[in-house]
Amino acid sequence: MKKLASNIMILAFCCGMISSAFSADTICFESRKGSSEVTKRDLKPGLPNVKCSSKTGAVLWWGDPFDGTVPLGDMPLLGNIPPGKAVVKPRAEKLAILPMCAVACHNGVGPTFIPPTLPKDKKPKPLPTMEGLLPDAKNLQHGRGGLWCLDCHHTTQRNKLVNNFGDPVSFDQPQLLCGKCHGDKLRDWRDGIHGKRIGEWASTGKKRWFVCTECHNPHNVQDGARNRGFIQIEPETPPQLPRGMKNARHELLPGVSH
Amino acid sequence: MQKLMSFAPDYFYYILKGGMKFYAWMGFLAILSAIALYGFYLQNTEGLIVTGLTSQIHDGLYFANLVFLVGVAAGAVTIVFPAYVHHHKAMHEVTVLGEMLAISAVIMVTLFVLAHMGRPDRLWHMIPFIGIYNLPGSMLGWDVLVLTGYLLLNFVCGFYFLYVKYSGGTINRKFFMPLIYVSIVWALSIHTVTAFLISTMPARPMWFHSVMPIRFIVTAFAAGPCLIILIFQIIRKNTKLWIQDEAINLLSLIITWCLGIALFLTLSEVVVELYARTEHADGLYYLMFGLHGLTRLVPWFWGSLIAMIIAFAMFLTPGIRTNYKLLPIACVLAFGGIWVEKGMALVVPGFIPTPIGEVTEYYPTMIEVMMTIGLWAMGFFILTILLKGAIGILLGEVRFGGAAKSIDSASSGKTAAYESR
Amino acid sequence: MAPKKTPLADPVKEQPSECPAQAASAEPLAPGKTTTSRRDFLKAGGMLSLSSLMGAGALMAQSDEARAAIEWAEHFQGNYRLMTPKEKAEARARLEKRYSAEYGKKVTVDGTEAQPNVLMGYALNVRKCIGCRRCVKACVAENNQSRGKEAGQNIEWIQVLKMERGEFSKEKMNQGYPEGLGIQVGGNAYSPAGTVLEGQYFYEPAAVPEKDATYMPIACMQCEKPPCVKVCPVRTTYREPDGVVVIDYNWCIGCRMCMGACPYWARRFNLTTPVLPKEEMNPVTHYLGNRPRMRGVVEKCHWCLQRTRQGRYPACVEVCPVGARKFGNLLDPESEVSLILARKNVFRLKADLNTFPKFFYFYD
Repeated sequence: MKKLASNIMILAFCCGMISSAFSADTICFESRKGSSEVTKRDLKPGLPNVKCSSKTGAVLWWGDPFDGTVPLGDMPLLGNIPPGKAVVKPRAEKLAILPMCAVACHNGVGPTFIPPTLPKDKKPKPLPTMEGLLPDAKNLQHGRGGLWCLDCHHTTQRNKLVNNFGDPVSFDQPQLLCGKCHGDKLRDWRDGIHGKRIGEWASTGKKRWFVCTECHNPHNVQDGARNRGFIQIEPETPPQLPRGMKNARHELLPGVSH
Repeated sequence: MQKLMSFAPDYFYYILKGGMKFYAWMGFLAILSAIALYGFYLQNTEGLIVTGLTSQIHDGLYFANLVFLVGVAAGAVTIVFPAYVHHHKAMHEVTVLGEMLAISAVIMVTLFVLAHMGRPDRLWHMIPFIGIYNLPGSMLGWDVLVLTGYLLLNFVCGFYFLYVKYSGGTINRKFFMPLIYVSIVWALSIHTVTAFLISTMPARPMWFHSVMPIRFIVTAFAAGPCLIILIFQIIRKNTKLWIQDEAINLLSLIITWCLGIALFLTLSEVVVELYARTEHADGLYYLMFGLHGLTRLVPWFWGSLIAMIIAFAMFLTPGIRTNYKLLPIACVLAFGGIWVEKGMALVVPGFIPTPIGEVTEYYPTMIEVMMTIGLWAMGFFILTILLKGAIGILLGEVRFGGAAKSIDSASSGKTAAYESR
Repeated sequence: MAPKKTPLADPVKEQPSECPAQAASAEPLAPGKTTTSRRDFLKAGGMLSLSSLMGAGALMAQSDEARAAIEWAEHFQGNYRLMTPKEKAEARARLEKRYSAEYGKKVTVDGTEAQPNVLMGYALNVRKCIGCRRCVKACVAENNQSRGKEAGQNIEWIQVLKMERGEFSKEKMNQGYPEGLGIQVGGNAYSPAGTVLEGQYFYEPAAVPEKDATYMPIACMQCEKPPCVKVCPVRTTYREPDGVVVIDYNWCIGCRMCMGACPYWARRFNLTTPVLPKEEMNPVTHYLGNRPRMRGVVEKCHWCLQRTRQGRYPACVEVCPVGARKFGNLLDPESEVSLILARKNVFRLKADLNTFPKFFYFYD
């Protein structure tokens, strides 16, 4: 029963992935691969919604920075921003299994399904189903062993995150969760120093805010041995070699000699 | 007025006359010039992409020759100065030849400027009142100003002198001498300003030092007279005009000391830059030894240095300096050495590395080389014409009222022309 | 004998009988495209003036002539900075016509002037930059640079340097120079440890950031005291009231003095007529910004004037996946850049040259 359930889940998850992979549309990713994605189309004749890199598939240019966005919503620290000036792209639809969470398994009711009950405490324990669905979950780097799923995910409403008071937080507003620990980053993010915003540059202008999880994968935030916040990505092509130069190998030779 | 009306036809008629050798020479130059014109056409339809210039190294052969030729133009003052300030008799007789050289050198500079520009069709943007002339800010503006002034001064002085000789009158010293003195100082200014053109850019540390103007001037006063000696010797061989040994000897002496100072300044620069070997010495280091394994200019630098040292040793030896068989060799060595040192070896390493540290090399194309040769040919074409006309007048072969049989007119002016052989 | 006259076809093209001279132009229009261009031409409304009337008149006969007439009028226009508002509008209308015909779509040439109380500023977080070069490519997508395959046809305004992090090692401690003279210089002096301005430009790893590297993007610094402006003999490059250093491409004579004077290697030269495919051309342009350039003129970053004058972030700021690039009004204490200047450790590149850039580097 347990095995079947997990197989079904994996199958459903894969179908979603495959169907998107086989469609004829050009899909580009916005910040990092695996996060926000956009399907290329024309906003009006001659004006594409995005221009993408032919090498990496990254979005290079937005025709309309506010395409497909929703208001950021209330945030305690953002009282000075007029309504409608801060927008985000909803994350929920990008997270393929999110609709199933809290309906199929984690409906908080139990015991019709395996696991039959909610966790009694926050002690980490292996969950083969979850590990099958989310490889990140097996080897959670975030916090280096000091954190577990329910430190960030809501216990009964699994399509929500959780704040310090145990209240649910939308996936569109992960900063309310992340800011619990990363207060300095939250402050810089609020002021536009950390993170990314597109749209109008005036401090009173309308901006699309990129939320934490659009750039950082919270499960694998340290990106292995590199130990930095942003995942490694494929770079765009180097500049054209000037006339006459055959290659750029000379760059690798030492420049300063005795 | 009548004299003035007949001056031009007489002058041009004399120029057009010539032997087989003359026509062959002019024809050769004309062919090279035609190639350059074709190159110029390509540059203004395809763009400068037909040259080896890049966004990294955006000044190359053209700019190098421009800088060098400003020096040649300024070098003409090595005749004018002894003639009028020290009243050197032998020099005084041939001053006008120096002025003709200055005129053609400035014209060559103009040609190289046109070749260098991305949009020569927009040159009128620099003309005051129609366009904008960025003074006092732009050093290039100053350079254009002094070069134009120098061209005019030499044109007026040279042709006024020739006209007076032609018409058999006497020189109005009240009008003439101030112009001469101004032109002497002006000659210094053209090369000083050209040095400022590149030495006022802190972005290019290789050029950014105050020794640049004096280095420009001493190399100019070495390279210019080298060319003049060569031309004098050709004139002595091929025309009836005899240029006195004293003139050539004085020029050799000037070259000796200027070349010596030039070598000294090069040495000083090498010591100052390479002793500390900061990042600012990268350009010079690239030139002398190569950078990041790129060494295209290294042989040029050492070749030019060796040529200049050999030439200096030859000039320093009185036996060689006064030996007119060996003197041309020394002149060619010095001229060539300075051409490399002040042209390619000064301009190109200024761009290597770029101000943000990118090391690339310069690969001049065939079109660029042919165009450079062609523009030199054009310059020599003009120089030959100007010198021929001037010699004709000096000899008295062109003068008002028909060609002279004798050369007794020498007493009227301060110029004496001697028949060779 | 001197090449005083330039072999440009413009003067010839004015006469209808000489039309085949068009072939001499660097990019002849494809025969099939002329009809569409003409239609777009007619559609393109705009300010009518003497010169554009000239163009419109010739347009009835043949579009090549119209183009020639426009180019002819363009050739004799003055410096944009000194034009009256009417002349500026005429110049822009003329360009809109020519571009729309050339690129087969409606191209707009904006002329929005600097806004009062705005001084644009830029800040870049060097600790964040991962060297992915997306800013470089976004800039090209926005700003209509030449993108040909041949050497010299590809222009990028942003350079990203990779600098090796380097480290001191025990092994090199006793390997110095000169050897055996007792006055040794340490061997670690000759290996990189955060080497400055000796970076790599052509790095091409599978993924960035590399473990042992830091990255440093460089473009125009929009100096408050720009050396390039000072050396320009025709004042075609100048500082706008909102702080951006711009170029009137139609006035540039291509002498490249500005390129020599720039300490940041921010300027690029159009060695040939820019290679700009019609479908990739960005039709939203500004006269002093990203409008297509011509052969033989200098160009550089202008902080996407066509966007920033309309309130939008520059393209490189928007694309940066790590949010290292920040842009705003230096006169507004609440702007991102002002807050960075107030809060972070900030430096200017080559501050010793007293160019006073408005492009700041910072780290947190």
